[in-house]
Amino acid sequence: MTKVTELLPGTLDMLILKAVSLRPLHGYGVLLRIAQISGDALQIPQGSLYPALYRLERDGLIQAEWGESDNNRKAKFYTITPSGRRRLKEDAASWDRLVAAIAAAMSATPSEI
Amino acid sequence: MFTRLRSTLAAIIRRDRFEHEMAEELRFHMSAYSADLVRSGIPPEEAERRARLEFGAVESYREECRQARGLRAFDEIRQDIRYAVRQMVRAPGFAAAVVVSLALGIGANTAIFSLMNAVLFRTLPVGNPESLYFLAHRSGNTDSTTSSNYPLFERYKAVDAFSGVAAFSEYTFEVSTADGRERVDGQYVSGNYHAVLDVPIALGRGFSSESDRPSAQSAIAVISDDYWNRKFARNPNAIGRTLTIGGRVVTIVGVTEPGFHGLIPGWRLDITLPVALRVVDEPWFLGARDGWTSLTLVARLGPGTTEGQALAAADAVFRPFWMEPENAWARRDESTVGRSAALVPAGKGALDLRRRYAKPLGVLMAMVGVVLLIACANVANLLLARATVRAREVAIRLSIGAGRARLVRQFLTESLLYATAGGLLGILVSFASTGAVVSLFDTGEMPIRLDVEVDGRVLAFTIAVSMLAGIVFGVLPSFAATRVDLTRDLKEGAVVRHGRVAMGKALVVGQVAMCVLVIAIAGLLAQTLRNLRSFDAGFERDNILLFNLGTVGAAITPEQRTALYRELRSRLGGLPGVTAVAMSSRSPIDFSAQLRGIAVPGFQGKDEGASAYVVTPEYFPLFGIRVLRGRGFTEQDRAGSPAVALINERMARTYFGSSDPIGRTFRFLSEKELATIVGVVEEVRHEQLREAAPPTVYTVMGQPATGLDGTVEVLSNVTVEIRSRNDPRSLVAAVRNEVRALHPEATVWYARTMRQQLDAALIRERLLASLSTGFGLLALLLAFVGLYGVMSYRVARRGREIGVRMALGATRGLVLRQIVRETMKLAAVGIAFGLAAALAATSVVSSFLFGLSPHDPAMFAAVVAMLMVTALVAGFFPARRAASIDPMRALRAE
Repeated sequence: MTKVTELLPGTLDMLILKAVSLRPLHGYGVLLRIAQISGDALQIPQGSLYPALYRLERDGLIQAEWGESDNNRKAKFYTITPSGRRRLKEDAASWDRLVAAIAAAMSATPSEI
Repeated sequence: MFTRLRSTLAAIIRRDRFEHEMAEELRFHMSAYSADLVRSGIPPEEAERRARLEFGAVESYREECRQARGLRAFDEIRQDIRYAVRQMVRAPGFAAAVVVSLALGIGANTAIFSLMNAVLFRTLPVGNPESLYFLAHRSGNTDSTTSSNYPLFERYKAVDAFSGVAAFSEYTFEVSTADGRERVDGQYVSGNYHAVLDVPIALGRGFSSESDRPSAQSAIAVISDDYWNRKFARNPNAIGRTLTIGGRVVTIVGVTEPGFHGLIPGWRLDITLPVALRVVDEPWFLGARDGWTSLTLVARLGPGTTEGQALAAADAVFRPFWMEPENAWARRDESTVGRSAALVPAGKGALDLRRRYAKPLGVLMAMVGVVLLIACANVANLLLARATVRAREVAIRLSIGAGRARLVRQFLTESLLYATAGGLLGILVSFASTGAVVSLFDTGEMPIRLDVEVDGRVLAFTIAVSMLAGIVFGVLPSFAATRVDLTRDLKEGAVVRHGRVAMGKALVVGQVAMCVLVIAIAGLLAQTLRNLRSFDAGFERDNILLFNLGTVGAAITPEQRTALYRELRSRLGGLPGVTAVAMSSRSPIDFSAQLRGIAVPGFQGKDEGASAYVVTPEYFPLFGIRVLRGRGFTEQDRAGSPAVALINERMARTYFGSSDPIGRTFRFLSEKELATIVGVVEEVRHEQLREAAPPTVYTVMGQPATGLDGTVEVLSNVTVEIRSRNDPRSLVAAVRNEVRALHPEATVWYARTMRQQLDAALIRERLLASLSTGFGLLALLLAFVGLYGVMSYRVARRGREIGVRMALGATRGLVLRQIVRETMKLAAVGIAFGLAAALAATSVVSSFLFGLSPHDPAMFAAVVAMLMVTALVAGFFPARRAASIDPMRALRAE
């Protein structure tokens, strides 16, 4: 069993955008996809996914449509919008910078000071 | 931002669908998860249980979803409104008291504002009104816009800085109708008027002539939308129809748009005729330079011309004109020597009305604003009292987790709901009251007709005032109401909160103070009106009927006219109750002005000109004006006998100093012959009630004036004065009959009593007095309700304490006195503040006052007494209730 990591605040939106940028997904699918691409390392409280989805939809970053799920049930599918893609790029870039900066800071040795 | 709003709106509008879809989506999630769990070998029931469990608190996530969609705020507001409506319905008396107080306050504000809007703010519905300027001349701080004549107009027309200059003068026409003649207000205009002003024409055309010389095309008219509606029922074939005006037939060529009332606000403009038509009757008009001919000149600045450039250009025309010898008559006054041209913005029409009413309306607006504040204080007090009643409810809600901000917002919603209801009702109140105010203006021979309507600006004002009021009276109580002590307020019958009582008292003190201010100003203005109506202006004002008699355009010679006048006087003298009949060119305080240049042989000083009257001998005894020296006129002063005149004392002092004026002579500059002064009469305030009479000369009607060119003219418009033992108004019908019997083309108009004529001159004073008195009474009523409410509330809350004291031996009288004393103390503090404020503020209205100072001690004493009595009454009833408390019952109720 992999070690489960708590989500950093503010990163859920980015993960959702990433998940739906690959292909349209319903809410449960988003959850599975995040688990899958993170190698089950990230655990999202199931219910908290939905307020985030609603917020992203309201901000026009994703859009929703009713369709058929794999097992022929009606489900709401989310797709990323162009402005959502832009946001994802920005978020990813700033995330990379943050990670690089923190990694550099954490790897500092006494001789470097 | 926009997508957010749209998504929120969509969710609000299709709320059911939103909820349904959300439920569906969450359900899908859980069933998909449980299906996965089943697939991994967990029994179905267990899978479903775990799916639900791991999902978490469904309801709270749903709420978060709603919030994410912006629905929560909406839900809360809706809840607040629903809750507020429930509160209103639960206490209908309270709600009615609040809404009615506000409606009166807001309605009064709306009414005054719509009046201000009509008089001060509205711009003319003509093309580019901002590039229009009146061509005036200025000496000192006074601009004179109507002092011009046609020759000056012609000079201005040649100025390049203007793209056009038009001229107009208000005029009252006599239009022949099926049953006699009717007087219709209108104007004579230069032929280019409609083109220069870009007057909006609804039907037909405007005038389009550059020349104002009479021609075959001069007999045309443009009528107003209102006249078209009244006389032609909006029938398009009115174009081409004819009107008979002063015996002359003119053809209607155009109808103006509804909003156009000319450039003189308040003047009802029904018929517009070309000035060329006036020139037919008065050929001298185009060339006359011996007086101003009441033309108003209005210029449109050329494109790109600045006001400064235009003014310089106008001045370059005006200054040489002014100094020409022909204008010597106009330069007589020391103060007019340095006269220069002036440009007065004409985009909102002539200034006169705005100048006369800007300050009175400002004062009324301020007063009515204060009245609204008093009403707000009342409402705040009512809400405070209720806040105490509701303290327990608030404590419960806070204790089960409601946020304070949420509760404050809820109380504010309630206030705004009251304010909205008050505002809506207020608009109705203003509708009902503006009619009365407008008709106050619409009196006398020069009525002011106002187009008061609720337009966007008025509505915006009302909404703003209502919301502001809602916030003003809502904020304090809502904070006070939510500041509760949970442990104490949850218990039944909690003790009165001290802070809240202090706030209530402060509000009442403020109310009383504002009330003193309003009543003091109202009292001063009302007393001013009384003073003006009753002081001795030097002429009689009771039992006198006046009417105007016109024989303009009638085929009649000067001799016939004189004979007609004499015959009419003797016939009217025979009517029952009539004791005297006189005729004159003008009558006291009738808005007319005739200042004529005179030449006095042997007089070295500065010629001031003189106010001129033409009268019959009975004029002086009829008005009770005494002849101080020499003799009055007699019937022997007639055509052919030596020309005679009477002067007033001021004239005697100005032109003859200490020497005896009797037997001296003078001449009107525009006339040939010298007249001999035969008597001196006392000064009467016949021009302005507030001002001493100017130098005045009276000539006798029986001796027609001979102009410089030798023409003899007998006045075609005269005022007839009848003094009667009975009610003078009862004579009007008989007068009309006599005139009609005497000459079919003679017209009687504007029959009025002398008192009515004075009232017509006191429109501004009456407006101020009646409205401010109304506001004063309203303020007093509101302050009374405030005092009464606060004291009643105190008594109700302190019932137990009073009971205890009475059980310990306090007598009923003592309790009664104490409550009354407490009320009076509150009132006294308010009165003290109010007096201080009033003494400072009343100087603002000092220019309106007459016969009393802005600090009139008697008036202030009366105001104090009035409020003390009000406080006494307001305190007495609660005090009596307190005194009638049964100590046993009050104690047992615990």
